[in-house]
Amino acid sequence: MSAKNGTERTANQAAPADAEERSGYLGFVAHEVRNPLSTALWSAELLARMSAAERGGARGEKLTAMCLRSLGRVRQLVEDHFLCERLEVGGLPVRPEPISLRDALEHAAGHRPGDVGEVSLDGVEAALAVSADRALLERVLDALVAAAGREGEPVRVSARLDGGRAVLRVSGAEAGPGALDDPRKGAAGDPKGRALALPAARRAAAALGGGLSVEGGAFVLTLPGAGAYTARPASPPLP
Amino acid sequence: MTERPLVLVVDDDPDILDAICDILEGEGYRVARARHGLEALDRVAEEEPSIILLDLMMPVMDGLAFAQALRQRRNGAPRIPIVVISADGNPQKAASVGAQGYLAKPFDIDALLAQVTDMAGEPMHG
Repeated sequence: MSAKNGTERTANQAAPADAEERSGYLGFVAHEVRNPLSTALWSAELLARMSAAERGGARGEKLTAMCLRSLGRVRQLVEDHFLCERLEVGGLPVRPEPISLRDALEHAAGHRPGDVGEVSLDGVEAALAVSADRALLERVLDALVAAAGREGEPVRVSARLDGGRAVLRVSGAEAGPGALDDPRKGAAGDPKGRALALPAARRAAAALGGGLSVEGGAFVLTLPGAGAYTARPASPPLP
Repeated sequence: MTERPLVLVVDDDPDILDAICDILEGEGYRVARARHGLEALDRVAEEEPSIILLDLMMPVMDGLAFAQALRQRRNGAPRIPIVVISADGNPQKAASVGAQGYLAKPFDIDALLAQVTDMAGEPMHG
């Protein structure tokens, strides 16, 4: 057998495992979307069956709120899923610029969802800047604040510069060991539509030239410090 | 007068619980709710339902573990009909828990009512 054939066999043997993992992930995405899709459809149908007077009553208001909440969950899941997919295939242009980490964190803390705890930025120096794509950085920080602050848990953020890279530690509600890679381990029942936010954040952190990990129950995000970033060639935007 | 049938709804998603209970109560059924299998066992102990609508993927105790625990506890007593309500699109899992029915989310409201009526009876004639 030639060396080339041996290599091909190895690649072919790896493919089914990759396909199985991918299929499992997509199955999870479908599962997560179907729950809020169900409640959106049911509440809309129940509203349609009601008279105008009933729709204006307490039950109508409850169903309207459920419908809107469910659609919000679907939107969050769909956006995170497609962000994952675009980052996976390298189809998303990354446009780095110097950004004050404290400003970005204050933005994330300022528009956090109502169920997320207070965010303390005492450990983040105002002068600390990173080189990052603003939109991607916001997605990462939003996901970390929401995950660490779930169920009202206070969030503590510290950051330091280490060899030209910013190292950000976000602690609060304990992060499960597989939360970044396998959302099934961390999200049984997802009333907020955030089941895919962390996998998307992990991919976004990598696209920014950094990384995201879980250490001691806290999220650790590394990013190029401002001036140290070497931009990877931007992929052309998708049609 | 015979009491209206009781439907136990088991799902970890609070909106799913609210929506299904709203649908069934609107049709005249009594409902009990549980967020996972362990709570569902408590609900069954409190009052035996006419039918159980059971999600599979739940924290604390999933649908499969619940069905097994329920069988052991009932120890030969007549089975309570179970309809699996699942978002994973795999009807074979319903068979694995010994369920009599399967509804894939998002299912139609009328399909839900047809299954419940078929297994638990009409709400006004229970």
